[in-house]
Amino acid sequence: MSDGGEPGSTSVGIATAEAVLSVDHLTKSFGPLVAVRDLSFEAAPGEIIGLLGPNGAGKTTAIRVLSTILPPTRGSFTLGGFPHTNAAAIRQRIGVLPESAGYPLHLTGEEFLRYHARLFGHPARGAGEVAASLLSEVGLAERASSTISTYSRGMRQRLGVARALVNTPRIIFLDEPTLGLDPAGQRQILQLTRDLAGQRGATVILSTHFLDEVEEVCSRVIILNRGEVIAEGSVAEIKRRAAPRTARVRVPPEMHDQALSALGRAGGVASVGSVDAERGWLTATFDGAWLDEHREAGMNSAIRALTDAEVLVLSFELEGGRLSDAFLFLTEEGQR
Amino acid sequence: MTSLSGSDTSLQTAAAAPSGGWTVVAAQELRDVWLTARGPIIVLVFSLLLSLLTYLAATNKELNILDQRDTVNLVVQLTLGIGVAVSLLFSADAVSGERERETLESLLLTPVPRRQIALGKLLAAMSVWPVMMVVAVPYVWALRAGPGLFADAIVAGFVVGSLLTAAFASLGLLVSTFSNTNRLSLALSFFIFVVLLAPTQLPLSGWFGDLIVRVNPVTAGSIFLEKVVAKQHGWGQESALLIAPILAALIATSLAFLVAGRLRLQGGIER
Repeated sequence: MSDGGEPGSTSVGIATAEAVLSVDHLTKSFGPLVAVRDLSFEAAPGEIIGLLGPNGAGKTTAIRVLSTILPPTRGSFTLGGFPHTNAAAIRQRIGVLPESAGYPLHLTGEEFLRYHARLFGHPARGAGEVAASLLSEVGLAERASSTISTYSRGMRQRLGVARALVNTPRIIFLDEPTLGLDPAGQRQILQLTRDLAGQRGATVILSTHFLDEVEEVCSRVIILNRGEVIAEGSVAEIKRRAAPRTARVRVPPEMHDQALSALGRAGGVASVGSVDAERGWLTATFDGAWLDEHREAGMNSAIRALTDAEVLVLSFELEGGRLSDAFLFLTEEGQR
Repeated sequence: MTSLSGSDTSLQTAAAAPSGGWTVVAAQELRDVWLTARGPIIVLVFSLLLSLLTYLAATNKELNILDQRDTVNLVVQLTLGIGVAVSLLFSADAVSGERERETLESLLLTPVPRRQIALGKLLAAMSVWPVMMVVAVPYVWALRAGPGLFADAIVAGFVVGSLLTAAFASLGLLVSTFSNTNRLSLALSFFIFVVLLAPTQLPLSGWFGDLIVRVNPVTAGSIFLEKVVAKQHGWGQESALLIAPILAALIATSLAFLVAGRLRLQGGIER
């Protein structure tokens, strides 16, 4: 890998006019283990892309390859117009908050940021200004002179975000940034994430397995499982792909059998089952193809069948209406 | 918390590629060694040891069974041994320690080339040796038998010590580059040093003993010092003994920098 010049030369190309990151069939193997397989996607400026997946799905490896810490086994990517072989140029344009970021505990927050600013080529005085400005932006100005050993986990994560910004990056990789934080700390990091994209126009790749966070801040989602992309799209698209297929119904216990029979006759219902007859709980699972054809409204057939049979419906819940349900559905499907 | 406006002009412009990143790394590492407790405490303990040795040699003539030249030689060799060992341990911690403390990744994410990172760390680890030599100067002066002995001891000690420090600090860096744990790096590096140091305390004779003395950079350097300082031999007369330390320094530093170019987040052998 070599140091690079400016993009735009004949040897360097941008995949699309808009894409700041273009990943093309990227694969990373460790011996026989394929950690990331055939990953392809593009990211536009200002986008927040959620990288989802269960533990061991390949999220951290993907980030390490894209941040030039690990070389790809196959495939390629361009970042800011620079090919992946130009590691030095790419490092100038990215900011990374690693999953397990350690900090030199004896340094102050200000010293730590100044050091990293110097490593990115800022002159001594400029590095001090950058450090002060970033500490202020992440809300650590008052603790600038305290050693990092006195920082809480949330403060260290914010310091890590500030470190990732010392070079004004075009792409920021945040690997599990809210892991181990209390709700207030999580909120601060998510707000920072939104600001990075919204106010700085940076592209953010957010790796997490907190699905609520993804729903809250991400414009697009890539779901990895066992190193492979199993779904990609907007949060709404992903949720639609794993649309609810099962309804959980509660009726008065004395109407349980009547309801079971009525649901069995409802359009699109593939199977019905009793969950707890004494309390009146039962489930109706819809045929996937029928549901795709009739969309969410298709489930109304079950309610109609129950009311036509004069069954009192106490509760009707859809399983699979949230991103977490879609995630579980997709990752479990991938394991089958 | 304020918002990330990005309006600050110093932040609007992406930093230029760093030139001389090794100086930034070296400066920070030097601060870590000398402005935290590590370096000053080691130097303090070392100076107390030299003080005790010098006090005994200067005041207790009955108990002092060593000739004054031998005492000066002992002080220089002690300085050299401790200086080299501490430099070795600092460099053995340089990469594996960062791995263990999980600070290596953020360093590797900077555009500073791997070899420059290694160079900065190596120089900081090696800084222990000249400081110890400076600390030893007044003691050698106090124990000198004449101006000639003082100059010989300081110059020969500095030359041999610098060569051995370069060799062993590079060795420590090399081991540290491959080690996943700091304990392994420190133990293995120190073990190699002790194995090479041991023959200096053994009665070696015959062609095999002579070979060991000349091939082993530690024994060769130690005997060179003994001949020049204690026995007042000329440098030219014993210059062959410098070949092993010179070669060790050249080979170890070359290997360390060759390997440092492939410095990775994980230790071990690349798969």
